[in-house]
Amino acid sequence: MSHKPEWDRAHHAKIATGIGDPQCFKGMAGAPKFKEGDRVRIKDLPDLFYTRTMTYTRGATGTIVKLVYESPAAEDEAFGNEDHVEWFYSIVFTQKELWPEYSDTFSNDTLETEIPERYLEKA
Amino acid sequence: MSSSIREEVLRHLQTTALLQPALHKQTHAPSPTEIDHTLYRAYTRTPHDVGGEPDIPIEYQEKEEEVWELNTFATCECLAWRGVWTAEERRRKQNVDVGQTAYLGMPYYGRWLMTAARILVDKQYVTLTELHNKLHELKARVAAGQGLGEYLPPNNK
Repeated sequence: MSHKPEWDRAHHAKIATGIGDPQCFKGMAGAPKFKEGDRVRIKDLPDLFYTRTMTYTRGATGTIVKLVYESPAAEDEAFGNEDHVEWFYSIVFTQKELWPEYSDTFSNDTLETEIPERYLEKA
Repeated sequence: MSSSIREEVLRHLQTTALLQPALHKQTHAPSPTEIDHTLYRAYTRTPHDVGGEPDIPIEYQEKEEEVWELNTFATCECLAWRGVWTAEERRRKQNVDVGQTAYLGMPYYGRWLMTAARILVDKQYVTLTELHNKLHELKARVAAGQGLGEYLPPNNK
C-alpha cells in the first residue's frame, strides 16, 4: 500500500489546455472593486515566502489604466493553489512617486505595472 | 575514503564560507534579540526578478543561447504543458527556494535545470535516491572516459 500524498498533478493543464492562461480564469473573479481612472495606493502586505508585488511600489499612489485579466494571485499560484481568482489591474505611477530622488528634469516619466486587487486601496 | 575526496570536501566547505552574501555587517550567529524588524524583513526577503533593488553597475554582455539552455527551456515548458507545474511555481522554486547566494551566482538556465529536477522530486515523479543514483552513475561514466551523450564526447573519439 502506498503512503504517498495524492493530488491531481495535471489539474492546471486540464483547465488551461486549448484556452490559455490566464484566459482560463475569465469570469471567475466576480465584480471588480476598482475601475479605470481610479487612484489607488499599494498596500504593504506581508512578503514572506513569495510575492511578485514590487517593494518599490508599496505605499505609493498610482492610477488604474486598465483591468487586464483575472487570475489567481502569484502568492497562491506559486504553491499550486488556483481556487481564488482575482482581478489584476495595470497601474501607472510617476517615477517621482516611486523614487524620491528622481530628477525633476524627467518629471513626466512614468512606470506601468500589473498588481492584483488584494494590494489596492482607494487613495 | 581516499584523501582526494577529503580534500575536495574541505575545499567545498571553505568555498561555501566565501560565498555567503555580504551584508556589510557582522552576521555570524546573531543572538535572537539582535534581529529587529528591519533585519528580519531583510533576512526573509525573497529573491526575485521584478527589479528595483540597489546594486553596483555590471557590464551588459550579449550571449547566444547554448543547446543545453534551449533544451532546458523546452524541458521546463513540457513540464508545464503536462501539468507538473505552473510558471509561478517554477519562478518560486528557481528564484526564491534556491536562496539569494545561488540566485545571484548560478547561471540563469542552471537555475531552470536545477528546478526541473527539484519539482520532479518534490512531486514524487522520482525519488531523491533515484536522482542521486543516476548522478553517481553518470559521474562514473564520465570518469571512465565514456562521455555524456552529445554534450561530452567519449575520450577515445
